[in-house]
Amino acid sequence: MNPTTWTFWQPLLRRLWLPALVFAVLLVATAGSTSFYFPPLTEVLGVLWTELLHGGLVGDLWFSLRNIVLGLALATVVGVGAGLVIGEIRTLRLATGPLLDFARATPTVGFVPVIILTLGIGSGPKVFLIFLGSVWPILLNTVSGVQAIGPAVHETARGYRIPWQLRLRRVTLPGALPQILAGIRVALSIAVVLMVVSEIYGSPVGLGNFILQSGSSFHVAETWAGTILIGVLGYLLSVLLLLVEHALLGWYHQRAPRARRAVRPPTPPAHKPATERATSNGVVV
Amino acid sequence: MGRVRLLQLGALAAVLALWALIAALGVVSSTALPGPASVAAEFTDLVGGGTFWQAVGDTLRGAVTGLVVAVAVGIPVGLVTGVYAAAEESSRLLTEILRSFPVIALLPVFLLVLGSTPGMKATVVFIACVFPVLLQAQYGARSVTPAVHETVRSYRVPRLLRFRRVILPGAVPSIMTGLRLAATTSVLVAIGVEVLTTLPGIGHMIMESQQAGVSARAYAYILTAGAIGYAITMLAQLAEHRLLRWRPPTHPGGE
Repeated sequence: MNPTTWTFWQPLLRRLWLPALVFAVLLVATAGSTSFYFPPLTEVLGVLWTELLHGGLVGDLWFSLRNIVLGLALATVVGVGAGLVIGEIRTLRLATGPLLDFARATPTVGFVPVIILTLGIGSGPKVFLIFLGSVWPILLNTVSGVQAIGPAVHETARGYRIPWQLRLRRVTLPGALPQILAGIRVALSIAVVLMVVSEIYGSPVGLGNFILQSGSSFHVAETWAGTILIGVLGYLLSVLLLLVEHALLGWYHQRAPRARRAVRPPTPPAHKPATERATSNGVVV
Repeated sequence: MGRVRLLQLGALAAVLALWALIAALGVVSSTALPGPASVAAEFTDLVGGGTFWQAVGDTLRGAVTGLVVAVAVGIPVGLVTGVYAAAEESSRLLTEILRSFPVIALLPVFLLVLGSTPGMKATVVFIACVFPVLLQAQYGARSVTPAVHETVRSYRVPRLLRFRRVILPGAVPSIMTGLRLAATTSVLVAIGVEVLTTLPGIGHMIMESQQAGVSARAYAYILTAGAIGYAITMLAQLAEHRLLRWRPPTHPGGE
């Protein structure tokens, strides 16, 4: 074999053999399965395909996707905006610390019955719920991102009398961006969960409604198909976000890890913000 | 420190006042947002009764069961896959896909397969919690420096001893971060499952109260859930500090 193609294929092979093996095992194990709960994988994928092409699943997918995007966009605007203000003003940051931590710790899924029973089963309350759940990680990460900017940077900006709008746009925002994006990644997983929960709880359309309906009418293959589709949607959205992150943070990732680490404060602040790092965004509720 | 506490109390008072104002002005209907006074009254009523503690116990039981199993599985698997680069590389794509999976979406499937049982709740919690623990353990094991590995090798430290006395302590800071995330997640998932099924617990009480039109009680339960989540975060941070006293202070956030 050509050595250059081998060096290209080898790492890919090392990463893909296990997922491929798992897929193959699932395919073989369920083939000809007569179990009611575990239909053959080929049948599930076939159902997924026909539902997407001929059924109403595309409409459900569109409804769910739109709610996630709207809620997350709203949460980003509000979270980053409020986070920049709170992060810049020390008094405000100290005063709101415990309140923000409490808000972050309150499970938004608890609000699902309250909001949907009072505001209805339409799209609006769902967008609001997604916003409510995803705004906190973004806000808290923005605050700690602003905090992590070295005091020297602030003093330089002040020393040159850079106007505050310009400072916010060209110094604070880029400085906090790595943390903000990590927060958005955490928020995304929360948004997907709230999308599913709010649609299972009460909705005429959407992916959550699809799996609930097919599940309660014992269409097992459809239920599995919908569940897989939600998983794929969640994964693709996180990959998309990762691509955005690479595009926006090329400058950050190109720096040496040591220099990158120095951006963060050398000593823990008195109040430790509940920051989620990019490595720990496994909070898939 | 006293000044900071005062500021924080002031902020709390301001938020409560704003809440009371919004509720009093009737900007939002009282079923969507009851006033703080009625929520507080409901809360004191609840704390005196048995159903409240029953619900809290049910939620915590499901959350803790799932969490314990997740820790028992996640830490060993994470450490082993973290130490051997080949294992980490092979399992990366799989864990990436699985951890971005919204576990609650498995609920209809689980309702079909396992039925509406407390065991099902714990299973959903387990699946949601195992990935943060596993990934953080993996990350921690990878952060053990090559120099340490070589020292261990040259002293021919047995494999089991190496995991127990070298890799595990080295990975503890990272594991604690995973544990904190998983603990918060466990309560969240347990409540999520209860909201959507008929299983008893805080989530179920929220739903029942709201359906009965007593939204102040629903809010009292939501705030209870918030208090539990907050307490877990604080306790985990405290444990982190105590467990990691031997270490020089590192940057916050537990990378």
